[in-house]
Amino acid sequence: MAIDTSKLAAWSMQAREQFTSGARLLRDRLLPRAADATGRLLRLFAPAPATTADDTHFLPNFCRGNAIGGIVLIAELLAIVITLVTRRISENLFQDLLLVSLFVQWIALSGAATLCAARRFLDRLPNSRALGFAYLLLLGVVLVVSEAAVWVMWLVGMVGSPRPEWYAYFHIQNFTVAAIINALALRYFLARHQLRQRTLSEARAKIEVLRSRIRPHFLFNTMNIIASLIRSAPDKAETAVVDMADLFRSMLADSENLVPVGNEVAIAKKYLDIEMLRLDNRLRVDWHVGKFPRKAVMPILILQPLLENAIQHGIEPIPTGGTIDVQLREENDIIHILVTNPLPRARSKPPMGTRRGPRDMDVASAASAATPLPSERALDNLRLRLESHYGQAARIEIVQEPERFSVAVEIPIRGETA
Amino acid sequence: MRVLIVDDEKLARDRLRELLNEIGGHTVVGEGTNGNEAVEKAAELNPDVVLTDIRMPRMDGLEAAMHLMGMENPPMVIFTTAYDQHALHAFEVNAVDYLLKPIRKDRLAAALDKAKKLTLQQLHEINQAQETPQARTHISVHLRGNIRLVPVQDILYFMADSKYVTVRTTGEEHLIEDSLVNLEKEFGEKVFLRVHRNALVATSYIKGIEKSTAGNWQVALTGLEKKLDVSRRHAAAVRRWARR
Repeated sequence: MAIDTSKLAAWSMQAREQFTSGARLLRDRLLPRAADATGRLLRLFAPAPATTADDTHFLPNFCRGNAIGGIVLIAELLAIVITLVTRRISENLFQDLLLVSLFVQWIALSGAATLCAARRFLDRLPNSRALGFAYLLLLGVVLVVSEAAVWVMWLVGMVGSPRPEWYAYFHIQNFTVAAIINALALRYFLARHQLRQRTLSEARAKIEVLRSRIRPHFLFNTMNIIASLIRSAPDKAETAVVDMADLFRSMLADSENLVPVGNEVAIAKKYLDIEMLRLDNRLRVDWHVGKFPRKAVMPILILQPLLENAIQHGIEPIPTGGTIDVQLREENDIIHILVTNPLPRARSKPPMGTRRGPRDMDVASAASAATPLPSERALDNLRLRLESHYGQAARIEIVQEPERFSVAVEIPIRGETA
Repeated sequence: MRVLIVDDEKLARDRLRELLNEIGGHTVVGEGTNGNEAVEKAAELNPDVVLTDIRMPRMDGLEAAMHLMGMENPPMVIFTTAYDQHALHAFEVNAVDYLLKPIRKDRLAAALDKAKKLTLQQLHEINQAQETPQARTHISVHLRGNIRLVPVQDILYFMADSKYVTVRTTGEEHLIEDSLVNLEKEFGEKVFLRVHRNALVATSYIKGIEKSTAGNWQVALTGLEKKLDVSRRHAAAVRRWARR
C-alpha cells in the first residue's frame, strides 16, 4: 500500500484549517448533540427491566464471525460517510477513503475485540450496568486508538512530533463521533434485545392463556369420567361428550366475540353439568338470572371462568362440597354478575391470640398470606380482558370474608351487537 | 391383591373398580374420598395396594402416601393423576409408579404387577419437586398399630424429649418419632416458633409473652394453663416476633 506523504501533509494542513471552524461546530452542534446522546443513554438506564432470569444478553457475541462481519460493514459505511462529508470531490478521494477506513476499522475492530474479551465480565452484570460499562470501554478504545494513530503517524514520519497542533482537535473529534455512534449502536442493541424479549414473553403468554383456558386437569379428569360413564351410563357419556365439544368450541373462539347473555349462561350451564358429573352431589348451584334485553351482549367466557374459579377454590377443597350462588341481572344498562362460593374451613385459622384483633379483615389477610389464593391469576386475566373491551367502564370486585368468597362483575350493555 | 381405591370423584373410583374386576385376581377392600380417609382406611383394612389420586380435598395423595409409609406394614402406593406436571416429572425421576387419567386397563394391570414399595425419601423428593412443596396438614400418630391423624392447626406445641417429640393439642398429648429441626424446617417460623432448644410453639395460639417471677421469659398459650419457658438464647427472636 503506497502512502503518499505529501497528500498526508496536505490532509494535516486541512485539519489545521478545520480547527477553528471545527471548534465552532463543536460548540454549536456537536456538544449539544453529544449531551443529548449521553442523556438518552442515561435515560436508558432507568427503564431497563430487571432481566435477571434472562439467559440472553443484549450485546451480540462479538467473538463470532458474523457479528464481526457486520461490524466491518458498518464501519466501512461510516468511513464512506465521513469521507464524503468532510472532503471535497478530488482525485485523492479514494486515498482519503482508504486512510479513514483504515482508522475507523481499527477502532471498530479494537472495540469488538474489547467487548469480546470483556464478554464474560459483562454477561455477569445486569443489563443497565453492562450497558454503561460497554459504553465506557468503547470510548476508552477510541482514546487509545486515536493516541496510537498519532504515534504511528509520527513514527512513519507523517507528522513532525507526537503532539502535532491538531492533536487536541483530533482527539475531541474522534471522541465525540465515537460517543454518538456508540450510543446509537448500544441503544439499537438494547432495543433489539427488548423487542426479542417481548416477542418471547408474548409467545409464552399465549401458550399460558391457551393452557389456562383448556385447563388440562379438567380435560383429562373429564375424559376419565366419560370413559367410566361409557360402561355404566352411555347416555350420560354422550351428553358429556357433546357438552365438552360445545365448551371447547367457545374456548377456542375469538375472545373478542360478544355474545348475548343467554348464550353465555347456556355455556356456563353446560360446563357446570360436566363438573357435576365429576363432583357428584358435592356441587350445588343456585341460579338467579333476571330478565335481559335482547341487545344485552357480553364478551364470551366471562361467567364460565368465574364458576371454574369458584369450583376450584371453593368446592373441590371441601370434602362435602358446597353451594355456588350465581346472580345475573340488568340495571341501568349494566349487567351485574355476582358469583359467591364457600371457602374451605382450613383457610380460616384457629382463633387468633389477643395480640391481634379478631377483626374479619385480619383473619382474612392472615389466611391469604398463609395460602395465597391461586384464583388471583384467573381473575387478573378476566380483569385484563374486560379492560381491553370496555376500558374503565367495566368493574370487577372481590369480596373475601372468612368463609365466603365473592366476585362481582359489572359490564356495560353496548347499544349495538358486534 | 387387596386394593384400596382413593379418589374424590365417584366416577373415577367406579372406573378403577370396574377395570380391576376385568383384570381379575384383585379385591377392592374399600374406597376413600380424600387423604385422611386413605390413611384411616388403610390402617383399618390393611390393603396390599393403595390406588390414590393426588389432588383431593383436605389432605392430598402425596401427603397421605407419606403417612402410609410411616405405618408398620406399609401398603404399596400407585398414584393416579390427570395432569400434575411437576409431580409427574418427579415420579419419573424416582421411578415411582403412577397412572395417567384416563386410565388404561393394560397400564393398570402392569402397574399392579410390578408395584413396589415406595420409600419416604422418594416421597419427600416428589413433594420438593412440586411447584409449591407443601407442609403436612396432619401429623400421624401411631397408637397400638392404629393411626391417628392430628390436624396441624390443632397443635399447641411440639416438645422434644430425649428420644421422642411430644405433640400437644388442647385436649391430648401424643408421642411421635420426628425431630424438632425437621418440623421447624417443614412448617417455617410463621407457623411454629422456636422458643426453646426443646420446644416449638404454634404462633396462632400464642396469647402473650411475659416475664416470670424468676425473671425469665415465658409464653402463654390459648387453651393451656401451663406457661412454656423461653430460653435465653431464643428470647430475642421470640420478642422480635411478638413485636411484629
